[in-house]
Amino acid sequence: MERRKWGYAKPGLIAGAALAGLLAIAAPALAGKKDDTIRFAYDQAPESVDPFFQNVRIGVIIGANVWDTLVYLDPKTNEYKGLLAKSWKQVDDKTLEFDLREGIKFHNGEDFDADSVVYTLNFVANPNNKVVTQANVNWIDKATKLGKYKVRITTKEIFPAALEYLAGPVVIHPAKYYAEVGPKGQNTKPVGSGPYRVSNYVPGKSITLEKNPNYFKHSPKGAAKINKVEIRFIPDRQTQMAEMLSGNGDLIMYVPKDQADQAAKVPSLQVVSGETMRIAFMQLNTLANTPTPALKDLRVRKAIAHAIDRESIVKNIVGAGSRVLHSQCFPSQFGCTDQGATRYAYDPALAKKLLAEAGFPNGFETEIFAYRERNQTEAIINNLQQVGIKAKLTFSQYAAMRDAIRAGKASLTHQTWGSFSVNDVSASIPVWFGGEADDVTKDKEVEELLKKGNNSVDPNVRKQAYQQALKRIADNAFSVPLWTLPVYYVASKDLNFEAYPDEMVRFWEMTWK
Amino acid sequence: MSSATLDVAVAAVEPGGTVVAAPGFWRRVWKNKAVVIGFGLLLLMVAIALLAPWIAPYDPYAQDLTNRNVPPFWYGVGNWAHPLGTDPLGRDYMSRLFYGARISLLIGVSVAIISGLIGTAMGMVAGYFGGKSDMAVSFLVTTRLSMPVILVALATVALVGGSLWIVIMVLGLLKWDRFAVVMRSATQQVRSLDYVAAAHAAGASTTRVLLGEVLPNVLPHLIVVATLEAASAILLEAALSFLGLGVQPPLPAWGLMISEAKSYMFFSFWLIAIPGAALALLIFAINLAGDGLRDLLAPEGRA
Amino acid sequence: MGGYILKRLGLALAVALAVSMIAFLLLRLSGDPAIAVAGEGARQADIELVRHTYGFDRPLPVQYVDWLGKTLRGDFGESIYFKQPAAPLILAKLEVTMLLGLSSILFALAISVPLGVLAAVYRNSWIDRLCLALAVLGQALPNFFFALLLIMLLSITLHWLPVSGSDTWQHFVMPTIALGYYAAPAFMRLIRAGMIEVLEADYIRTARAKGLPASTVIFKHALRNAAVPVVALAAVQLGFLLGGSVVIETIFALDGLGYLAYQSITFKDFPVMQNIVLLLSVIYVVLTLASDIANAWLDPRIRVS
Repeated sequence: MERRKWGYAKPGLIAGAALAGLLAIAAPALAGKKDDTIRFAYDQAPESVDPFFQNVRIGVIIGANVWDTLVYLDPKTNEYKGLLAKSWKQVDDKTLEFDLREGIKFHNGEDFDADSVVYTLNFVANPNNKVVTQANVNWIDKATKLGKYKVRITTKEIFPAALEYLAGPVVIHPAKYYAEVGPKGQNTKPVGSGPYRVSNYVPGKSITLEKNPNYFKHSPKGAAKINKVEIRFIPDRQTQMAEMLSGNGDLIMYVPKDQADQAAKVPSLQVVSGETMRIAFMQLNTLANTPTPALKDLRVRKAIAHAIDRESIVKNIVGAGSRVLHSQCFPSQFGCTDQGATRYAYDPALAKKLLAEAGFPNGFETEIFAYRERNQTEAIINNLQQVGIKAKLTFSQYAAMRDAIRAGKASLTHQTWGSFSVNDVSASIPVWFGGEADDVTKDKEVEELLKKGNNSVDPNVRKQAYQQALKRIADNAFSVPLWTLPVYYVASKDLNFEAYPDEMVRFWEMTWK
Repeated sequence: MSSATLDVAVAAVEPGGTVVAAPGFWRRVWKNKAVVIGFGLLLLMVAIALLAPWIAPYDPYAQDLTNRNVPPFWYGVGNWAHPLGTDPLGRDYMSRLFYGARISLLIGVSVAIISGLIGTAMGMVAGYFGGKSDMAVSFLVTTRLSMPVILVALATVALVGGSLWIVIMVLGLLKWDRFAVVMRSATQQVRSLDYVAAAHAAGASTTRVLLGEVLPNVLPHLIVVATLEAASAILLEAALSFLGLGVQPPLPAWGLMISEAKSYMFFSFWLIAIPGAALALLIFAINLAGDGLRDLLAPEGRA
Repeated sequence: MGGYILKRLGLALAVALAVSMIAFLLLRLSGDPAIAVAGEGARQADIELVRHTYGFDRPLPVQYVDWLGKTLRGDFGESIYFKQPAAPLILAKLEVTMLLGLSSILFALAISVPLGVLAAVYRNSWIDRLCLALAVLGQALPNFFFALLLIMLLSITLHWLPVSGSDTWQHFVMPTIALGYYAAPAFMRLIRAGMIEVLEADYIRTARAKGLPASTVIFKHALRNAAVPVVALAAVQLGFLLGGSVVIETIFALDGLGYLAYQSITFKDFPVMQNIVLLLSVIYVVLTLASDIANAWLDPRIRVS
């Protein structure tokens, strides 16, 4: 817990209102460039700091800054480089072997070696340990120690995207520490091996990162340049912006386009934006117990697709850098294509006709769930309204919405997905059509095609399988792909940083101007 | 057994004292500036609300994505097609403002009626019969007071979802406490009046006495509390909207408009200032009317 | 006196129990606790196992009594979302909220006492109206709007105060104003009413007639008399403020009980939610009990009514 600077609290509080102007030299606790501290604000605190036991963006960001992975995907060159591993080779379809670096220590002094990898991977691959996003780890069969600095990882099925996951969400924990304290301990006192270590953590309030002085020299990530990062959880977006406007903050992300456009005019701030891998799409619940049985009719689903004016929404609301999608994946992901897939042009007249054919000449009522980008949802609702579909909005937090979907309560969902920044379609489509908890379609043919794509090692076979799956999804309008989402960062003019499409905030790269 | 704390809650609303409609009542009304201004403003808003379909220049739900965030005319760059500007989805703000009056007034009036009915019934029973009834009502009121309204509303809305009628029901079923407390106190005073005892002695049934003699005399207190509860309900709707669990978009409720405009507050201030000012005016008018009423109803010679 | 205290205590306990029952019911109804505990992507078999292990399949009254028993023994359960014991989590956040509540009451009093006195002394004049208008002013805006306006003025424009957080006393100034201003009108009306009642009393007229200076009359006699119900109201208002601080805590990123309550409702974190409601109602009940006793001690008439 942190100490509070109280002094004479009560009399101070009473006098404060009147005397604030006289007494308060309201210096913020840490002053950005002056203190060599990046003050970063994010709205939602993660459920846990242990990256495996949460799935909010900030948790992924902290994961990459405080922990290391076996390999690292260089965002500039798009090639894999060894991080904790020196080198690796694919022994056979289901086996990878890694030679690990020596001399690396975790933040608590524990040595990194094969035990760390073996313990971590076997722990997270075990479904009883309830890692939050199973798709990140359930491809792992087991890890075996071949020597002090040599491990073998086997996958359950042929899994060509293994390296992607080993470069992204699968971080390595210290074996002894993790065995002793488990995820709870990692949450209370996080220990990793990355460029930053956690120096203070108040759950739900703030987490402070400090430069790891012993970060290993040959890391392709590079050691951190700025000494401290203070991450504060500020639930209200306006308060975050207020902190930036008053000079008390250095970086915020996910700023709505309109605000970002305006913030760009403020002299002390800079706005950086770009397209991200995050895609928006609309889920349509066609399961047997869907709350809106009308969705089971193909014509109704096609009508919905034709009713939404995607071009206009992208141009006017979503922002620079985003584009309309015709397939539910991000174009740069391996296997993503919209070739052969039915495209649905904006045609409200056609939508009404289809609805009438399906037996809904006056439309119908339904519900739509959303958890972010509410202005986009409202524009969609408006479009649907114009063809007679009255969609009532339920806007909630992500976890609540996810639970509602998994419980079968959702009809339409304005969903987004960042694929954990994994550049392979296997990180995207199977989550929604692979027959798991988030699949509200459960189409057997698509599931088969996806399995084929996921489990083949031949890139052409994979591409073809995915293309067929995506085509079937589009032709049947199982879901409506919408657009890509840009992200806007607002930062202090003093900060040098770059925005990447994987929405990863690389604190270790940042410097002051 | 009464709770001194509850009595205090009463006194916070009004100074007590018996009320009888004295002669020259309407003349005093006219002279009381607070009542005149307050009710005048209210009447104006009600008129706007009722006439909205005729005086609003556009459909408040019509989006126009090419005309987003147009400032009102006094910013110099706005255009007269939208004198109060447009919102982030291109909807005309003036139209939304006018239609919003309906929703805010509807919320205030509905909640006041529902909670008023519940609370008055409880209060009158407790005040008239005393003893066990009083204890029971006291217990219910204290229980209700120790449950924070916001949290209960949040939990309920999380349970059944947010919509205009759910918000009204939830608030109506929660905000009867002040009615109960004040009506109880008022009834206690009226109970001891001569003509009430006379009616009872003449054989009138309890219900007849309650409705025929007691109610007309406590009515003024009821109205005062009703005005305050209406104002409070309207503000609570705004708070619920802010937390995402109130009325859902695209309804042009002022509270929701304010909470949506919050994102633009630092850059497009009018988006929040216009409905904010309207809401403030409404609350202010209600308070003014209520306070003026209270003064009117206070016995002669007292403030 | 002892009998009175016992009676009030009994009532207080009954209220606390009733509140906990309602909260328990509301929470159980608002979502399936087995799913919340079983977590993400749990299969049906897992959920049923959890249901049986935790006893969610027993009748509600049995579950309630069991929960009550555990709570009375000090076992407050574990937060499903934060995966930490619920009690320390709640207590850590309580500090901030209580501080905020207390300072808000003090601020409200600081505004409403002078206004109320002025309004009473100059009753029915334009001063009276103005004082009331000032008191009502802060209540006419939705509190988050008011809070953001304060931030705009005092932080962004004037740089007098920090925007959010809870590290120093400066961080509490704006939240105190935003939250406290809401309580002001009620206090003001109360003080005004109490003062008026006293000012018109015979013994005061006598004192004035004898030539006692106005200030003595006001401060020594009238205000002291009016103060008694104010204490009671303060207790009541503190209870309200504790519950109503959700919005303020969210805006100012004060990591307090209100925000925790909001999070736990959103994330269906039953153990935390249940205990927060219990805590708040216990605090409220204790406060009103204390004020009732204090009042009874000060005014014997109340004891026998």
